[in-house]
Amino acid sequence: MPTKKNVELPDIGDFDSVDVIEVLVKVGDVVNENDSLITLETDKATMEIPAPFSGKVASLAVKIGDKIATGELILTLESDSDQAEDASNEAASPSNSETIESSNNKSSTAQKNVELPDIGDFDSVDVIEVLVKVGDVVNENDSLITLETDKATMEIPAPFSGKVASLAVKIGDKIATGELILTLESDSDQAEDASNEAASPSNSETIESSNIEIEAPKIETTKEEITLTTDSTSHASPSIRKLARELGVSLSKIKGTGKKGRILEDDLKSFVKQIVIHGDTGNEVEVVPLSRIKKISGKHLSNSWSSIPHVTQFDEVNIEQLEKFRKHQKERNIKLSPLIFIMKAVVQVLKRHPNFNASLDETGENLIVKKYFNLGIAVDTPNGLVVPVVKDVGQKSLVELAEELADISSRARAGQLQASEMKGAGFTISSLGGIGGTQFTPIINAPEVAILGVSRTQIKPVWNGSSFEPTAMIPLALSYDHRVIDGVEGAKFMAELNQVLSNIMEMLL
Amino acid sequence: MIKTKVLVIGSGPGGYTAAFRAADLGNEVTLIETYKTLGGVCLNVGCIPSKSLLHTAEVINEAKHASQLGVTFASPKIDLDGVRKNKEDIVSKLTGGIQALAKARKVKVITGYAKFLSKNQVSLDGTDEVIEFEQCIIATGSRVTKFPMFPFEDKRVMDSTDALMLDDIPKRMLVVGGGIIGLEMATIYDALGSEITIVELGGQIIPVADKDIVTPLFKKIKKNYANVFLNTKVTKMTAAKKGIKVEFEGKDAPESDTFDKVLVAVGRTPNGLLIDAEKAGVKIDKSGFISTNNQMKTNIDNIFAIGDIVGQPMLAHKATHEAKVAAEVISGGKSGFDALTIPSVAYTDPEIAWTGKTEKELTEAGVKFTKGVFPWAASGKNLSIGRSEGISKGLFDAESGKILGMGICGNNAGDLISEASLAIEMGCDMSDIALTIHAHPTLSETTAFAAEMAEGTITDLMPPRKKK
Repeated sequence: MPTKKNVELPDIGDFDSVDVIEVLVKVGDVVNENDSLITLETDKATMEIPAPFSGKVASLAVKIGDKIATGELILTLESDSDQAEDASNEAASPSNSETIESSNNKSSTAQKNVELPDIGDFDSVDVIEVLVKVGDVVNENDSLITLETDKATMEIPAPFSGKVASLAVKIGDKIATGELILTLESDSDQAEDASNEAASPSNSETIESSNIEIEAPKIETTKEEITLTTDSTSHASPSIRKLARELGVSLSKIKGTGKKGRILEDDLKSFVKQIVIHGDTGNEVEVVPLSRIKKISGKHLSNSWSSIPHVTQFDEVNIEQLEKFRKHQKERNIKLSPLIFIMKAVVQVLKRHPNFNASLDETGENLIVKKYFNLGIAVDTPNGLVVPVVKDVGQKSLVELAEELADISSRARAGQLQASEMKGAGFTISSLGGIGGTQFTPIINAPEVAILGVSRTQIKPVWNGSSFEPTAMIPLALSYDHRVIDGVEGAKFMAELNQVLSNIMEMLL
Repeated sequence: MIKTKVLVIGSGPGGYTAAFRAADLGNEVTLIETYKTLGGVCLNVGCIPSKSLLHTAEVINEAKHASQLGVTFASPKIDLDGVRKNKEDIVSKLTGGIQALAKARKVKVITGYAKFLSKNQVSLDGTDEVIEFEQCIIATGSRVTKFPMFPFEDKRVMDSTDALMLDDIPKRMLVVGGGIIGLEMATIYDALGSEITIVELGGQIIPVADKDIVTPLFKKIKKNYANVFLNTKVTKMTAAKKGIKVEFEGKDAPESDTFDKVLVAVGRTPNGLLIDAEKAGVKIDKSGFISTNNQMKTNIDNIFAIGDIVGQPMLAHKATHEAKVAAEVISGGKSGFDALTIPSVAYTDPEIAWTGKTEKELTEAGVKFTKGVFPWAASGKNLSIGRSEGISKGLFDAESGKILGMGICGNNAGDLISEASLAIEMGCDMSDIALTIHAHPTLSETTAFAAEMAEGTITDLMPPRKKK
């Protein structure tokens, strides 16, 4: 007898929710264990999610463009009862097995979704505060999150008591009526009450997991339908056209929010308001949405920029010796960029200055000093900046480092980095040496506390005591977190780095 | 020398509307009209007199067909003087009304023929009077197109203005041109007792309209008139003692025939070349049209043009809307002419009206559309008024269902078409029209039924199969 079994997103690491960019199966497909089901795209990498067991796709819970989080339903597989049993024994999620037993077992817990109740005439509103965290115990009517609409803020209370099992929203998210806020874990009694209260039609099969499957995407679907049916030329009634003429607004610039993309008086007014607030030079402009990487890294960068008191120390390093060595190796067909040497030298100096290979904890009161030497290397990609991590730099040879760097940067450009490859750095280097510039002030990659910026090598006249000698000089800029590192330490770090780089034999020390 | 702020040349529906609107917006306005009465072609020798005569025709026809309702009238006795007087009374009531409205607005009315001297001056032709203006609105309209090959010097060869004079009722009358004007005049003369022949160069009457919309009228006149020759050309027309001898070229028409009177209704020519507008620097094309921007401004900054003179369709209701735009722009307003549709109506029997895009236009443009056709043979109201002919046709965007056009043939089609025009301006879908409750029994129901036919929700007929 065939049984249906849910396939949920396994733990994919430190992501709240990720975009589904491909759905590789359709209802009715037969998939084998480990066949890819969907492709996800995180900030910096894409990954395929394999089937945990074989079966026939009975229903799909996600579509392209959806966001999905760990534990959420991907699809339902129909399999022979044997296989299903195997599967449920193997990978049974705690919630599933408990449901079956819940009526008998008093100590068992059940998870129940808390969704946004009807908040009135808003498409979606901003979450400006999340008042609970995973593990918190909340009582009925305790506030969970705070929402902000155009005109008011409101707190959303818990509909029943329980322990927060997972959060589906974070500050800055938009949420619409019916979308998931969080999951509460409650005693079976309570859970039963709750599920009776707000039973969704799919409840009968598997109580908890089926709750997750539908609500969130539902609203998005309707939105999509509206945009799909919108004609290229939005309609505006004669009175709106008249108003637009009077205001001197071209209707083609306005996106209507009325039924079927119809331009309403409010659309016109808010468009004009925008111009009044932000100005309009009359020159043609185009609104280009930032790439996803830029949107994400932008937030991160501005947090770093505004929360860390940066000091940037500049220096120039005589790399005549290094260049000679490089040239010599090049003749032997071993290509080493200056960056490899800088990485090696940085690790050497980090060993003597452990505070630079550290991060400040959340309280801002403790320094977490890392005993490993992993360096983040900023890489420019068509979609924006990413920072893959080269691990254990101290233990790798120059040639090994060169190979690893080449591999990691080419994969970064192709968008093929795994999330794990972008984690665990203690210190970051950003090199613009290949492009130009005499200096720049890099922004620290929080929670790290320092970053080294490398600009382009220039031949400069350097006084050798008797004459000016043409010398290859590479400009370095060290930004550090002044809460952790004081000026003397920063200057010392730079001086020692200079020492090592200008006398490359010191790397052997 | 007279000085004025706003000069309007021509007092037709466009001209008087422009003058009145400009005056209402606080301008000092002078209106020049060649004829003694205001109102232009529309009021004096166009829309209004023809409609009054068409009503006379309708009464005659209704009385004639009353026998099927069980009421028999004696054959009508037609007193032509009385018919003319009724028409003239209506015309003078309206033109007098305009005169009064002009006076109430303190619009200065000058009788004369204006010709431009410069971009700020016109002279009154035949006098030394010069009028200097700051802004000018040209609303000099159009005139009947007269081909020199037709002997118009003979009184028996008429244009529409002559025909409206109703000098007599010819026994055999030829109408050259199967367009709106020719067909309306044919309707009048047919009712008064003339035996009508129509000759049209194109392959259908009213060639711009969709064929299915004109078919009910075509069937009726084909039966009632002596002849309707399509794809036929008049090659020669000579005045003979017995009548006007007309030679034809066309497969159904005889080589020649002689008629007591001939009405030539082959279109209208804009009056752009008759006012020396080039002296003001205004650009006029060789047919006499003046082009404007959508604020009705010509290439000369202080000179505007509206109505027939700026292009097709030459319709009074287009002119009045353009007039308001021009007057408002002159007064510093930010108006523009951006109507989505200008309806067209033939006040024939049955009437024909259409608005928005025609099926021909949509097909040519490659637009995918859904068509809903409701034949009036299924309309209770239509049958009740003793009619069986007529159709309502709605054209809707195949994907969104938005109304693109409507065509109606039947009693009062000209009045019924306004609903569709409003629907187009408001961007209605077929379901908006179908779901709007139309009173029963009315002819206006047929518009909703056409939408229901397109939607497949009709119950008064079998819905077309293609849709659910």
